Amino acid sequence: MKRVISSSIFAALITTIFTGCSMFAKESSSKDLGEPVPIEKGQLIEKETSAPKVSNEENCGVQATGPSGEPLLTKECKLVITVLGQGVAPVNTVSPAQAYGLAKRAAIADGYRLIAEKIKGVRVEGNDLIKNMMVKQSTIRTCVDAVIKNANVTETTFKDGLCEVEMEIVVSHSQFAQ
Amino acid sequence: MRSRNGNRSISLSICSIIFFSSLALNAGEYLISYRYVVKDAILYNESLSVAKAMKKCDGIQQTALELETNSSSDLKKIIIENSDEFIDYIHKLGMQVKHNDITTNAQYKSTTILTLKTTCFKVDFNDNFAKIIPLK
Repeated sequence: MKRVISSSIFAALITTIFTGCSMFAKESSSKDLGEPVPIEKGQLIEKETSAPKVSNEENCGVQATGPSGEPLLTKECKLVITVLGQGVAPVNTVSPAQAYGLAKRAAIADGYRLIAEKIKGVRVEGNDLIKNMMVKQSTIRTCVDAVIKNANVTETTFKDGLCEVEMEIVVSHSQFAQ
Repeated sequence: MRSRNGNRSISLSICSIIFFSSLALNAGEYLISYRYVVKDAILYNESLSVAKAMKKCDGIQQTALELETNSSSDLKKIIIENSDEFIDYIHKLGMQVKHNDITTNAQYKSTTILTLKTTCFKVDFNDNFAKIIPLK
């Protein structure tokens, strides 16, 4: 009799253990199905890495920004810098074509200067001369020195002796990493 | 006594020597520099210097530019005839930008100098085209 009772108790114990396990398994499987977010995230990441390399900041997903909101250059994203250079035709030109040519060259130089300012920065020096509690002379000097490669002129306009050129340059992380 | 095959090989080698020496005569290395000054948004001074290199240049060949020669072998003349194309090209190679401006008592004056530092170019003259290859 004792044997029968003990065996039945043992059997009951085993069945409870198995049902518990199966329920836990069910719960865990339902949890896996019920939380699809991590899987989707994983799929998204996979898609991002298999995508072709981005060519400009618009196509590279979330753009890293600095403290004042300006876009930062990262390994993933290339930056496109666009500037507008301006040049004026000299007064004593032989023909309108010459005026256009000279103004355009001046505008390109201005565009290069603006790109150099953006990429490398500007050195600024200020001097104020004060005599007898009055400002006698105020001078601000700025200078830029850089080498610029592969800048493109995208648009040119010439109106009333003023030439404007839109220039752009693509800056990538690898150009600076050494 | 020489065999016919032997004669052929000698003539072939002579022809190849003549061919390659003629190619070598049409190729040369030149030093080119370019500079212009823009003062207060007006172009003031533009200078292009072309000189034949006195000694052999070292460097890796960069992207080539082909210019129409009209059967001329004077490089400066060819460049002046195709000045827009050549200047666009050397801008892409890399120009040094030096800019200074001064504001004295609210009056602004600026000077920008763009320079292509003296660079060696390998130039191959063909019938109608000159192939210009910078060495860097």
